[in-house]
Amino acid sequence: MSTAIEVRDLCYRYPDGKEALRGINFTVATGECIGLIGPNGAGKSTILLHLNGILPEQPTRTPAVFICGQPVTEQNLPAIRRDVGLLFQDADDQLFCPTVMEDVAFGPRQFDGVGAPVDGRVNAALQQVGLIGFEKRSPYHLSVGEKRRVCLAGILACAPRMLVLDEPTSGLDPRGKAELKTLLQKLPATKIIATHDLELVVELCPRALLVDHGEIIADAATLELLNDEALMLAHGLERPHILRHRHPH
Amino acid sequence: MIRHDFFDRHSRLDSWIHRLNAGWKLSIALAIVLATVLMPGRFALCFVGIATLLVVVAVASKIPAGFLVKRLLLLEPLVLGVAVLALLQPNGGCVFLVIVTKSTLCLLTMVLLSNTTPFSELLGVLQRVRFPAMLITTLALMYRYLFVLVDEAGRMQRARASRTFTKRRFAVWKSLGTVIGQLFVRSTERAERIYAAMCSRGWK
Repeated sequence: MSTAIEVRDLCYRYPDGKEALRGINFTVATGECIGLIGPNGAGKSTILLHLNGILPEQPTRTPAVFICGQPVTEQNLPAIRRDVGLLFQDADDQLFCPTVMEDVAFGPRQFDGVGAPVDGRVNAALQQVGLIGFEKRSPYHLSVGEKRRVCLAGILACAPRMLVLDEPTSGLDPRGKAELKTLLQKLPATKIIATHDLELVVELCPRALLVDHGEIIADAATLELLNDEALMLAHGLERPHILRHRHPH
Repeated sequence: MIRHDFFDRHSRLDSWIHRLNAGWKLSIALAIVLATVLMPGRFALCFVGIATLLVVVAVASKIPAGFLVKRLLLLEPLVLGVAVLALLQPNGGCVFLVIVTKSTLCLLTMVLLSNTTPFSELLGVLQRVRFPAMLITTLALMYRYLFVLVDEAGRMQRARASRTFTKRRFAVWKSLGTVIGQLFVRSTERAERIYAAMCSRGWK
């Protein structure tokens, strides 16, 4: 199976001097879905922002991230940003257009030119997330779950090969979570999901990475990792209920 | 608290005025504003004519009259602030009346335009007439985030009020200052995150 994402010795320091990532290494195979877990401030979001070149602010001479074998450099950025769709934690940061239609069309228009026919792709993306009929609505008027799905439609409309999702279920009610989970299960793209929602990781990701203090602490099969109670507690996490109460009925 | 549909609350009503092409509405509104501003004050009948036209549009558009009056009253103090200065010159009463009339007609025109045409359609018209793209983006972002900011300010103000146990004016002003400062920092950070989100979808 080919490698979709490769991260080699990724280090990052915030502009205020705080060290955020210290030598991150991992690879993700095409079609794989991996969970990125860890306590608050561990560096999960910072890793994700490196995957389509939002960070570092100034491109380095020795790129540490490779997408389908291509290094993330200034020249490769347009192609890499088309390939890697990034879902931000706060939907209000991502939905900035006056209507849902325009927001979903934003990505395709950036990549294909302002005059490019995008209606078909926008409709297909809205259909995928179950929001047909929302085209003229203002993103501000939507519920948190709907906003999250519009964000996802905006990414899907660019037809990315990889989806990088930062806390996709945060702020969602149980129904919203279930709908999003079903939706993500249907998408064939390679996925990296950074989340505190360990049940989501159990159900969607066969493999998980545990990050803390800017380092990868463990890279293992999800069930093996999440069942290691001592390791989980040591890094501010806990064994999810779904694993504690799995009885053979 | 300002509601998020403050600018164009009635813009999605259904009337023949609402169904008119946004480009036409914008052009006619600008023409009315220009004519009103340039019209010499002695042509009182022309002002009556414009006012009648606006009233007909208001009735046809089914926007509640109370809403229009309230909106005008809200904006009128700004006009009066300028008009009052005219009273200090000789024959000031006439000039005062002309300024108030002209400004009220212009304001009513713009209130009617923004409440019969969704903001996104107005931006679309500007885009079609090749208005500078950067300016359109700025307007769109302002429209989108103004109310996110207002909401955030409201939440911070409530949180602060719930922990403020004094009514001393100085303390209230001090806390207001902190809220404004915090709001500025939060807006800057949000702007950075929005920009990152735009870049990740191909913005150059």
